[in-house]
Amino acid sequence: MNRPLLEVDNLVIEFETDRGTIRAVDGISFCVGASETLGLVGESGCGKSVTALALLGLIPSPPGRVAAGSIRLDGRELTGLSEARMRKVRGKDIAMIFQEPMSALNPVFTIASQMTRVIRRHQGLSRRQARAAAVEMLALTGIAAPLRLIDDYPHQLSGGMRQRVMIAMAMSCEPKLLIADEPTTALDVTTQAQVLEQILALQSSFNTAVILITHDLGVVAETCSRALVMYCGRLAEEGTVESLFAHPRHPYTAGLLESIPALQASRNRHLPTIAGAVPDLAELPPGCLFADRCPSARSLCREEHPRLITSGRDGRVACHFPVQSREAYRAALVQWES
Amino acid sequence: MSINQPANPGVDGRLGPDEPVKYKGPGPATGLDSPLRKAVYKLRRDRWGMLGLAIVIVYALIALGVVLGLWGQDWSSTAGPRWAGISAEHWLGTNLIGQDIFNRALYSTRTAFEIGLVVAILSTLLGALLGALSGFYAGTWIDEIILWKKGVLDAIPFYLFVAAVAFALEGNAWAMHIAMIATFWTITARLVRGEVIKLKNLEFVEAATAIGASRMVTLFRHILPNTLHILLVQGTIVFVSAIKSEVILSFLGLGVQEGTSWGLMISESTQEVLSGQFMNFIVASTMMFILVMAFNLFSDSLQDALDPKKVH
Repeated sequence: MNRPLLEVDNLVIEFETDRGTIRAVDGISFCVGASETLGLVGESGCGKSVTALALLGLIPSPPGRVAAGSIRLDGRELTGLSEARMRKVRGKDIAMIFQEPMSALNPVFTIASQMTRVIRRHQGLSRRQARAAAVEMLALTGIAAPLRLIDDYPHQLSGGMRQRVMIAMAMSCEPKLLIADEPTTALDVTTQAQVLEQILALQSSFNTAVILITHDLGVVAETCSRALVMYCGRLAEEGTVESLFAHPRHPYTAGLLESIPALQASRNRHLPTIAGAVPDLAELPPGCLFADRCPSARSLCREEHPRLITSGRDGRVACHFPVQSREAYRAALVQWES
Repeated sequence: MSINQPANPGVDGRLGPDEPVKYKGPGPATGLDSPLRKAVYKLRRDRWGMLGLAIVIVYALIALGVVLGLWGQDWSSTAGPRWAGISAEHWLGTNLIGQDIFNRALYSTRTAFEIGLVVAILSTLLGALLGALSGFYAGTWIDEIILWKKGVLDAIPFYLFVAAVAFALEGNAWAMHIAMIATFWTITARLVRGEVIKLKNLEFVEAATAIGASRMVTLFRHILPNTLHILLVQGTIVFVSAIKSEVILSFLGLGVQEGTSWGLMISESTQEVLSGQFMNFIVASTMMFILVMAFNLFSDSLQDALDPKKVH
């Protein structure tokens, strides 16, 4: 891995609201290597999806805008690109899979017409060639009989089928980067696993990098090599999946891991949660945004915002007093609660 | 009720245990799956709608025959006797100046269809275009301008507007068409605007953008086809309105300038009814009544057929 495929540097995204300017994403930086799978984790409203939309230049403007920072794909700057140029990037270089397979397909066109349209626009194939390519792509996503399904309308397919069609459509132009925005949230668990497997299989055969946006840590553990944990529009922690799960450094990551229900938990043990709520983005407190919910917060945390420091071999964490171990976090939590 | 009646009839009284419901399984597509086929199937099951459609087709054939010169060509000939009764030569009699009423009624069908089709197609296209733009750019100056135009046109009384257009175009044969198109598009545009505002926030629109579609492609190839059901129904409604308006306008002398129409026939009959001659009036009104009625029946059942929530 010489140069990363995607480099995001100090990205700031702001939204104008009635209550003033809100920073939905505040200075996050990360990179994605070619054919790497990066997980983007965080709770609702932490800026995951907004970050993804910014990569495609799809921040609704107004009210939103990319206020600062740079996004480089293969060394090419994407922020400030004209709408016409950006259109050529979308679908061809960066493709996206959406959360709701139910509404992400146009209800009045057949699968064939929607898929061939994309393929023809970006690859300039004839109608017949595009149709053949669509059938092939559908077969690659694990659809058993693509020829029977290709002339169907979206409402005739199940949720899993539709998500596969979405994946096939996104992958049909062999993008360098695939953004999957909670691709499995709307699916049941068995289908989830199959769909994830398909994404990974396609990724390795097409050498595509994937950014997987999710709030499901299980999905991250299964599929990603590295993950970013976001909190309130800022990067809380970054690291390889192994180190994140084994040695979380940020109390937020540790809290998330603790609150996963264990299969063999004793009946009397209550499920630890992260107390409190996300601060209001319009009235952010000074200091660490997680301080009010953090069991190991000290006075420094409420005064000064922690900067990202390197942790471990290639991880980063934004915390003044990083967690030493999961046991230590548990102990701190018990002490804090009592 | 015989002994053979199943002891345990089903919920609807028809299905007994002896005749279990046959499960056909998923199987291959039955042809009922595509929305269009479903709509056609529903339309065909609606008897009143089909009756309406049949009558409309008969009228359309009459109009086509006139265009092709098969019948109704002698509409202007004044050769006949004045106010002749029903006879083998003049099936529905003649009018004040000896013109054959049957021929005139046939020719008027052509006039009605011409006006109905031209106005329905053009005003629906205009309404779709402006409504789609105004909905897609809702809240911007584009929307403001279109809404403002719509408001102004809606505020002017229709007949006053037509009179003004007819006067401004000085006897131009298309004055009436232009006036109708200029006023009828507003309703279509309003309906399309609302639908586009609803549709543009759905995820498939975002997906289309994310895959590289431009704004205009998104609007006209992804969003607008989803309003087709509105356009079809609205088109049939405008068709009927145009025919009815033609009759009234022609009666007032603002309508058809060349040829003849049911409106002109009714207008003529005002000079005849006092003398006890009702043929012109009855024939023109009946022809119009039946066509409008039939078209309304068809339009109603089309609306039901295109509504996926209505199952009957």
